[in-house]
Amino acid sequence: MIMLRLIVGRTLLSLLTLLLVSGVIFVILEVLPGDVASRILGRDATPETLALVRAQLHLNDPAVERYLRWLGGMASGDFGTALTSSRPITRILAPRIFNTVLLAGYAFLIYLPLAVVPALIQAIRRDRPLDHTLSVVTLVLLSMPDFLIATLLMIGFVVTLQLLPAISLVDQSSSAIQYFRAMTLPAITLAIVMAVYAVRMLRDNLIEVLGSDYVRMAELKGLPRRAVLLRHALPNALVPTLNVTALNLAYLIGGVVVVEKVFSYPGFGSLLVDSLQLRDVPLIEATVLIAAAVYVGANLLADIGAILLNPRLRAS
Amino acid sequence: MVAASDVGGARGGISSIARMLDRVPASFRIGAAILIIHVTVAALGPFIAPYGASQMGIGIPLSGMSWQHPFGIDQLGRDIFSRVIHGGHVVLLLSICGTALGVLVGAVIGLLSGYAGGWIDTVVQRLLESIISIPFLVLALLAIAAAGPELAGSPFLVVLVVGLVYAPRVARMARAAAIEIATRDFVTVARLRGERAWSVMRREILPNASGVLLVEFALRAGYAPVLIGSLGFLGFGMRPPTPEWGLMIAENRALIIVSPVTVLGPGLALASLVVGLNLFTDGLARIFGRSFVRVDR
Repeated sequence: MIMLRLIVGRTLLSLLTLLLVSGVIFVILEVLPGDVASRILGRDATPETLALVRAQLHLNDPAVERYLRWLGGMASGDFGTALTSSRPITRILAPRIFNTVLLAGYAFLIYLPLAVVPALIQAIRRDRPLDHTLSVVTLVLLSMPDFLIATLLMIGFVVTLQLLPAISLVDQSSSAIQYFRAMTLPAITLAIVMAVYAVRMLRDNLIEVLGSDYVRMAELKGLPRRAVLLRHALPNALVPTLNVTALNLAYLIGGVVVVEKVFSYPGFGSLLVDSLQLRDVPLIEATVLIAAAVYVGANLLADIGAILLNPRLRAS
Repeated sequence: MVAASDVGGARGGISSIARMLDRVPASFRIGAAILIIHVTVAALGPFIAPYGASQMGIGIPLSGMSWQHPFGIDQLGRDIFSRVIHGGHVVLLLSICGTALGVLVGAVIGLLSGYAGGWIDTVVQRLLESIISIPFLVLALLAIAAAGPELAGSPFLVVLVVGLVYAPRVARMARAAAIEIATRDFVTVARLRGERAWSVMRREILPNASGVLLVEFALRAGYAPVLIGSLGFLGFGMRPPTPEWGLMIAENRALIIVSPVTVLGPGLALASLVVGLNLFTDGLARIFGRSFVRVDR
């Protein structure tokens, strides 16, 4: 009962946050001093084109009215029309979101072993040279921006080994294999960036769990070391890393912006950058709000997970 | 764990400095050493670099590594080693100014909001939470797009954007610190003594929050070069021919098929700076008894 009330309360709070986010986005783009139309058109503005853009965006209406209309549209699934291509934004978004979800899923599949295996090795070889080496490697990778990791992978796999394509262009007509090849390097990049965060935490958790009474108990029972590690220690060490995984999910939204752009992968992230470059205000508003919604959703899921896993709440 | 007072205990003389260094964590020492090298190169760079930052026709474009040009030559015939050195102060100054702005604004908002409490705190907290919900890089890109084409590529815009991205995140930490400190006895005593809110804030809360704020500054400064580099890389940060490292990686990446070494120089510089900053922050956090956790990127 308490659990349910906590979850409902947390969900309502997330919805409130999202409502505020929409206000922040709208204020940043449309209310801040300066004319939106001339900002969109830049130096090429003529009085005629300015008037046209103003009419298209209904800029002559009061800001509050425009905001409410936009919000109502977003809530009912009508994201409006893109300025540059005059196509409905939902049509533009759908294939891009599909591509990014596919990429994120692929990245997550690589991420899990990439986080667990080094952490296990480090925990088993605790304070030995191998543990220290892996610590240094994760620290260096932690300090490398994603675009640098992507570029280095490109040098390795595209330039030197010539295994994968440099540009990950795909469309509806691409085959599954083409998709797979196109997504591999961006997915590995995202997986590495996410994994280095989890490895450090997982190593510390594992070492803590390995020193606990129930692990000693399992060892004294005469269980093989493998079984102790994989069945007793690892599941318990993974629980606190759930939070990192949710943070990683949140990172993914920013990460795909850079990584998709590096590999020219036609996903949500590169759409965001393109819309910003073209100053397509309705498209920017829709993409940024979706990015924020995913972030809020990921954090909500992490909190709900923490509530569900909390035994003190479960008992009542 | 080392207490903060031990660190400031040096009274001059090489032996006491050595003794002090002995007591700080190893990560702090290594990080500080890397940072000293970076700051020295950034400060002296423009005077010792073999060539100018935008000097063209230094050698055959994309001709690869050599003793004369350790990081190669870019497609415009510029010496990349010299450009990396010239870029040092650009990256460092932008990072420090942006982080300082963010920490300053964030600390003021967070400490005031946390100490004020009540409905003001609730409203401010909700608003900050909503800004934090827009992912780091997306917020930065959004702000740059909103600033319009006139300001694009200006260092002031980059500093403002880094400040804007950091301020709400710092404010959240500062608020938590203010709330924690406000419950301690010496604050209650000061209030009962009849001190006004402003003087309690200045004399009791701020000095006790300074450790948190210092670690927060180091933590944020460690990510600033990456954020600035990402903006430059995507074409939203500094503009060519500025020798900003992220921008240089983007420029040289176009032709890595011909000459892959061209991205190694700026990449090495950027990664080593962030490694140094992270180690330094790790040590600093240990000195102040906080664990080093980078919560968001």
